[in-house]
Amino acid sequence: MLEIKNLHATVESEGTEILKGVNLTVQKGEIHAIMGPNGSGKSTLAKVVAGHPDYEITGGDILYNGESILELDPDERAHAGIFLAFQYPVEVPGVTNTTLLRESYNTIAASRGREELDPLEFDDYIKEKLDLVEMNPDFLGRSVNTGFSGGEKKRNEIFQMAVLQPALSLLDETDSGLDIDALRIVADGINKLHGNEDAVVLITHYQRLLNYIVPDFVHVMIGGRIAKSGGKELALELEEKGYDWLESLATVNGEAK
Amino acid sequence: MTAAHPTRIEPSIFHRLAMHSPDPENRLWTGIREKSMMKLNSTGFPHRKIEEWRFTDLKPITRTEFSGMDKAGIKPAAGIEQYFIPESDRSRLVFINGRFYENFSSIGGLGKGVTVGNLRNYPKSKIVQDYLNKLVNYEGDIFTAYNGLMFEDGAFIHLEKGAKAEAPVQVLNLYTDSEKPFIANPRMLVVAEEESDVTIIEDHIGLGQNCYMTIPVCEVKVKQKAHIHHVRIQRDSIEAIHMSRPIAYVEKNSEYHSYTITLGAKLSRNEPRVIQEDEEVDFTLDGLVLIDGEQIADTHSVMDHRFSHANSHQLHKVVVNGRAHSIFNGKIFVRRDAQKIDSFQENRNLLLSLDGLVNTKPQLEIFADDVLCSHGATIGNFDPEEVFYLQSRGMTEEKAKEVLTYAFALETIENVKVDSVHKLLVEEVYRYTKANSTPKAKVTVS
Repeated sequence: MLEIKNLHATVESEGTEILKGVNLTVQKGEIHAIMGPNGSGKSTLAKVVAGHPDYEITGGDILYNGESILELDPDERAHAGIFLAFQYPVEVPGVTNTTLLRESYNTIAASRGREELDPLEFDDYIKEKLDLVEMNPDFLGRSVNTGFSGGEKKRNEIFQMAVLQPALSLLDETDSGLDIDALRIVADGINKLHGNEDAVVLITHYQRLLNYIVPDFVHVMIGGRIAKSGGKELALELEEKGYDWLESLATVNGEAK
Repeated sequence: MTAAHPTRIEPSIFHRLAMHSPDPENRLWTGIREKSMMKLNSTGFPHRKIEEWRFTDLKPITRTEFSGMDKAGIKPAAGIEQYFIPESDRSRLVFINGRFYENFSSIGGLGKGVTVGNLRNYPKSKIVQDYLNKLVNYEGDIFTAYNGLMFEDGAFIHLEKGAKAEAPVQVLNLYTDSEKPFIANPRMLVVAEEESDVTIIEDHIGLGQNCYMTIPVCEVKVKQKAHIHHVRIQRDSIEAIHMSRPIAYVEKNSEYHSYTITLGAKLSRNEPRVIQEDEEVDFTLDGLVLIDGEQIADTHSVMDHRFSHANSHQLHKVVVNGRAHSIFNGKIFVRRDAQKIDSFQENRNLLLSLDGLVNTKPQLEIFADDVLCSHGATIGNFDPEEVFYLQSRGMTEEKAKEVLTYAFALETIENVKVDSVHKLLVEEVYRYTKANSTPKAKVTVS
């Protein structure tokens, strides 16, 4: 489904290289966790796949269902089924959750061959999804993320994922800022949404989330590359040993950071 | 606050046109006319060396040759019913080019103690004699002087003590198409006695694409415990000039809330003023400006806190596209001994094009020490993170910007409480954002 090949990316305004040759393959039905220390490029990787305009791709490719998406705008990627849950969800005063989601749902539905829903049908449809993340219906009439607590914002991202039903979900530190109950709600939601036809990439700092969502693969990013990949047991090893032992591994050839 | 320099007074367009007042037999407002004539003769035409007019390009006025109303080739007004709001079915005053049209007006539905009509029919009214032209306080302003000299008709709204208007009053000012540019002088006097309540929808609409100048002068007196909700919509012709001077005096425990929506006119200069006359008042002077092309929209406001315990609010939001130019100068005065003032002022500008221009100048002059005055002015384009967020949810870049503009503008009209007017304004905002999300307005956000 997703094939990232030797991907290099720089911050467009500064020219600083953040991704220095990332390789990653994600198949349908899989859950991948990407871990790593601060500044290793995890969040950048997620944003680059979603098409964030701040980054320039200087080498390599991103294939989605076999085709390069580098030339696609963020909205075209969303139409193709890619979803990014933001680390810092943006407040959009004046636009209600319902307005945003109906607009999104219908444009995405049109391009993915699903039926568009009229406002009444849509209301019924999203009410079902609210339960998944245990959100109050009042929430729908409120401006997107405006005045939401950190935890509410993160839950809203998963709610949007539930409504939009993406094929590939990139969840950027969705667990950070959540207390233990909220974490469980969010994790349960993600588990329920995940099936054989979609893939999830979790970007996380802590092993904690992986107690609730069991990944098929764990990757460690260091210095803009994936330094090590393994099964779910790798996360436990990281929890125990930290990232230091991998950092030395990543600099073996003296080239990366 | 520099007044016009006396040595620079030269006969202006106003002096020339004042020579042939259209109705010399009309002696109703003789006293006002004499005073206005004196003021006109001692007042110069503004220019950019005067601080108050520094940023405002007055060429649309100075380069236009205005004709007297009788020589302007005025075309008939048609299809005006479409501008009637249903809530004011029986509480509507219609003025065309500043003249009252009784046949289009309807004033039966306001309930007890409410008088609504043409000023000209109330020359002997004590209220009119006490207040008309007495509340206007625009020192050195040639436009108010000219209006005082020339106005014939005007809206008169009076509420007796305790009277609550049963419907909003629509004051519909229409301007017709014409062969030559003309000047209209709408006038308005609103006096709300103790504990009365009224909502006023003041609408200015250009029926053609022609050039004309309108100088609406509006005097408002809000007595103790009275409430006024005043919505002002400016939808003048795209070639028009709109110089409005609405002034309100607020007495103890009264409330005056005004919302001005500026959409039309090539050049507009709006000078709203609110003057506090006693303690415990609450007033609002919000504005929304949506401009494009070559439009110039200037707001110079004054909120004068003269006594303790006042809440005041001014949210002035502007969207600029094309080569349009917005000017904002918001004066907030807090006089000595006017303590416990809570005053909020914010001017937010969304600048969508590289050729657009915004000048903003919050001006706070505070002489009391126990006051809370917050103010802010921002000029910016879209936040790229907001655009990306919406795009990542499937909206095109254009759609994302349209949604963000719409949301930006909508905030200021949320408090307009007459349904059909609120709906109309939402549609106007939508029309503007739609027209401005086309590629011609495309701005790179990086």
